[in-house]
Amino acid sequence: MENFASLLHGFGVALTTYHVMLMMIGVLLGILVGVLPGLGAPNGVSLLLPLTFTMDPVAAIILLTSMYWGALFGGSTTSILFNIPGEPSSVATTFDGYPMARQGQATQALTLAFLSAGFGALVGVILITVLSTWVAKFALRFSSPEYFAVYFLAFASFIGLGAASPFKTIVSMGLGFAFAAVGMDTVSGGLRLTYGFNELLSGISFLIAVIGLFGIGELMLTMEEGLRFDGIRARVKIRDVFKTVATLPRYWVTLLRSSAVGCWMGITPGGPTAASFMSYGLAKRLSRRKEGFGRGEPEGVVAPETADHAAGSSAILPMLALGVPGSATAAVMMGGLMIWGLNPGPMLFVERPDFVWGLIASMYLGNIVAVLMVLATIPLFASILRIPFAIIGPVIVVVCFIGAYTVAGRPFDLWLALAFGGVGYLFKKLDYPIAPLVLAMVLGDKAEDAFRQSMIMSRGSLSIFWSNGLVATLMLIGLALAFGPLLSSTLGRLLKPKTSSAVA
Amino acid sequence: MISRYTAEIGTATLTTGLGLAAVVGALEFGIGWGDAGPEPGAFPFYIGLLVVGASIGTLIQATVGRHGLHSVFLHKEEAKRVASFFLPILAFVVVARLLGLYVATALYLAFVMSVQGKYRLVISIASGIAAAVIFYFVLEVAFQVPLLKGPLEAALGLY
Repeated sequence: MENFASLLHGFGVALTTYHVMLMMIGVLLGILVGVLPGLGAPNGVSLLLPLTFTMDPVAAIILLTSMYWGALFGGSTTSILFNIPGEPSSVATTFDGYPMARQGQATQALTLAFLSAGFGALVGVILITVLSTWVAKFALRFSSPEYFAVYFLAFASFIGLGAASPFKTIVSMGLGFAFAAVGMDTVSGGLRLTYGFNELLSGISFLIAVIGLFGIGELMLTMEEGLRFDGIRARVKIRDVFKTVATLPRYWVTLLRSSAVGCWMGITPGGPTAASFMSYGLAKRLSRRKEGFGRGEPEGVVAPETADHAAGSSAILPMLALGVPGSATAAVMMGGLMIWGLNPGPMLFVERPDFVWGLIASMYLGNIVAVLMVLATIPLFASILRIPFAIIGPVIVVVCFIGAYTVAGRPFDLWLALAFGGVGYLFKKLDYPIAPLVLAMVLGDKAEDAFRQSMIMSRGSLSIFWSNGLVATLMLIGLALAFGPLLSSTLGRLLKPKTSSAVA
Repeated sequence: MISRYTAEIGTATLTTGLGLAAVVGALEFGIGWGDAGPEPGAFPFYIGLLVVGASIGTLIQATVGRHGLHSVFLHKEEAKRVASFFLPILAFVVVARLLGLYVATALYLAFVMSVQGKYRLVISIASGIAAAVIFYFVLEVAFQVPLLKGPLEAALGLY
């Protein structure tokens, strides 16, 4: 009930004309970056972030989160109409969304996608409303060793749950920590790892890394594949929209299951991409119409979209309550919070309840605004993709570099963005996961501080990470997540020869 | 034509190098125990070691599984497309450092539109200049964010 009262107060904060206007602008910009190839949610938020430094934090976070919702919606639009996922997390939507559009059911596919996405997001936000104070209160008991254990848990789950090779995940994560360490050491105040370059004195901003890795790198990949838009003309007919709305309750099992998958993957740092694939796979396995999947089965649109958005919104929960973001975009937003002088984590609920609850309330409103706006503006945004790539590609490049420059006004950052672009291209082609790198860059200083403070507390003994039940449990779960899959596959390999010989 | 195997080895070598750079850089600042707990180099040192270790793991994986990595990483045609995209960007960054971001934007857009988009030269140049002017008004006037400027802006008296 306490949460409910806070939420009402939050609505009071969020529901001003100025904030609703910001939501609309944010959603529109978000759909734009979601639709454009090479610009996605993490990148869009990074580009917009420097422009919000002078804004009030509540207004700024509303703008950024609305952009996030818009980007998620925009990504699914291109998946359905063009068979080009605007976001990695909407890849699974192409499997059935595009076939539906080709069969002349574009309106149905889009409406289903947006509505189920809205449903998923709503479940995520309700989860945040219910759980956040509880998680934050629990986290108030944390001191440095527990914090380090939580960070360890987050990164361990990347290693264990990620689809990529664990070595590649560790490389990506380690590089992120190393980049974060460049420049001023937050504990001693001294400089380190600058190798005599003056340009490195102020460190490497994670925003530059995101712009390079996600923006330039993604564009290079798009160019290599030889971009060809083969779009389906979408005219959203109001009658079809309402007809489709009426069919939605039919998919209630899929909606609920996918929301659950999404929320789980969003809170643990599995992220929206993994959530959408997992949910699609589950829906396919459990559906009565298995053979329809991949050929335009509406359930195949509902499942990934619901999970994608449920994960996207619930990723905000660990970011707010623990200071551990659940996705790359949440990591960028958390970096923004720190730049605005807010410290994400349990104390934020105590110190700035207006900010926290204003944000949560704006997530309810923002998603409703997003569903309405995306339905209204889809034909417009779909036509953007008909602009030749020779124009739109270079414009995106210019926007990325201008964004990189506005982060700190340093010319050297242009080179950094270019270098990160090259790395992003290589990493994407070779299946190195990029999200751990971004997360490590944002959390690097905090994780290191937590580690060093723990070491000071224990006078250099690692046993502090086993010193009480809480921290030991967290570390154990982390170790289990990191090495569990490895152990089970090794065990499987050891057991396999026996069974095969038994069969022979 | 580059094979996937070569690309894997090349990237893993690069990450090993970056890891070593972190290790070497960290040694300079002490990796032991100082007056205020662990010295500044300790954390980067072990992170660097972790990166080196995992990179070597990737190298071993690639070498052991090299039969599965014969697939083509980059065709000649694809390499050409990537290069035709990347080289103008490289030039853009160089020009931006010398002449400022606005001039670089106009030149870059005009170049790509006319050479790769096969638009008429006049249209390309006009679009490039128009884009630069729009960026100027959005950033400097609306958001009051200054961009990197060069001699042209100085001559025009724009700061």
